[in-house]
Amino acid sequence: MNKVYPWEKAVGREKRPVAFFVLLLFICFALFSSCASHLREAKLHYTQGQEYSRLYQTEEALGSFKNALQEAERVVSKHPSSQAYMLKGMAELKLKLWQSAEESFRLAHSHGFEKGEEWAQQVSLLGLALSLEELWVEESSLRIYIFLIQKSKLSPVTILAAERYTDAMLRKALRQEGKEREKLLASALKTAQKLSDGDLSCGFYHYLCSQILSHLADYGKSFESALMAKELGLPTEEVYRDNDLQIVYCYQKLKEELASKEWEGFQRKYMEWVKRWKWKGPETPSWQKERQR
Amino acid sequence: MPKSPLEKTVESGISFLSKIFPLQSYLYFPLLNASLFWAIKRTKEWKEKVFSWKVWLDPERVHVKPDDFILCFFKDHPALMRCFEPEVRKKDMASLRKSFVRLYPLLGLEDPFLSALFHQEMESGDYRKIVKEFDQKVRQAEEDINELKNQSQLIRGLKDFAGEMVSLNLELLSQEKVQKVIAEVIKKQIGSKNE
Repeated sequence: MNKVYPWEKAVGREKRPVAFFVLLLFICFALFSSCASHLREAKLHYTQGQEYSRLYQTEEALGSFKNALQEAERVVSKHPSSQAYMLKGMAELKLKLWQSAEESFRLAHSHGFEKGEEWAQQVSLLGLALSLEELWVEESSLRIYIFLIQKSKLSPVTILAAERYTDAMLRKALRQEGKEREKLLASALKTAQKLSDGDLSCGFYHYLCSQILSHLADYGKSFESALMAKELGLPTEEVYRDNDLQIVYCYQKLKEELASKEWEGFQRKYMEWVKRWKWKGPETPSWQKERQR
Repeated sequence: MPKSPLEKTVESGISFLSKIFPLQSYLYFPLLNASLFWAIKRTKEWKEKVFSWKVWLDPERVHVKPDDFILCFFKDHPALMRCFEPEVRKKDMASLRKSFVRLYPLLGLEDPFLSALFHQEMESGDYRKIVKEFDQKVRQAEEDINELKNQSQLIRGLKDFAGEMVSLNLELLSQEKVQKVIAEVIKKQIGSKNE
């Protein structure tokens, strides 16, 4: 005996193919909309993460990028597409999962995203430079960092390359003396300044400038850069605190260096900043324990 | 004298940790202090920060500070200056840099875990001991916690502790005072256990 399904009863024999088609369409639509909703969720989390990053709320940003990655993974497992792989790669990039990001961009390329190959290469180069640095192959890693700083359009790649490049250059400079040292510091500064000129709102580039300038004993400019960095925001609590201590250090050096009239003018303005930041004193940031000096 | 809500909460935190780490009481203060710090600071993703064993700040950045910054750091802390006066006077940068890398996260950046881990040495001003034992002690703490099978239970317990502490409106008290209470309660509890 043929089994009669409830929907057969409801629609009659002659309308069955149409009803079957409608049902199939409905299932497809449900599947598609579930996928589209995961993609939408992934985009939403990613955008939220970017917003948190912009406000330097690092932990919140990481949480959003993790959620974006989870949603993107769901989409690619069911309906792989260039958009889904690109989103997955971007989230992985933000979470510093370099190898996975490289793979995602390659897959995005194979699904039609033109720039996927180029992005994957840049991520791969960054991974290579980091490994070379670990193995003390300094010159080659520096060359890669410079290449990425100049060419990469992916901001997490550029920022990390800039950070590693600056640290490597400072390490090299500390081993040298005299003119050779100055040359290395000038070169590092030029690169960091170019980056901050290109993206004035990135507090981290100003922080790097401030660090290099203090090696050059230019405390006035180092102070200005650290102040810019503090006002624009910094990515982590530790960098934020280090930058505060850089401000205090510059203040102490300028106190030694400046002539009394110049110092008075500087100190007046400095105290206004101290008030604005709600510091405990000119040499004690709000987060720092007070101690006898 | 009746116990304050703060002391009671710290006691329950210690009681929880003593079940998980019966033999590693040296971890109580660093874990409770770091949980509290990050719970007040940030509400999300705090557990990653509690378990950030690496020295604060990218280790490279600590290594590449200018010589003068390092000298100022030592001169700026009277107790540190007393301890390292011979090296500061001779400008022995190799030795000072080595010590700076270990001391800057504690005394400069005030890392909540590390400063609690070396609380006793900091109190007694034994900074040379910190430098000498830093690597071994941090590695030991990392190993002891990583060896724990039930990591999620630890996270849950610390989160509960941090939640209770936050609900006590601790913003009204300075972080230093809260740290002092935690340290004192731990000292008392461990002391009475040992007697």
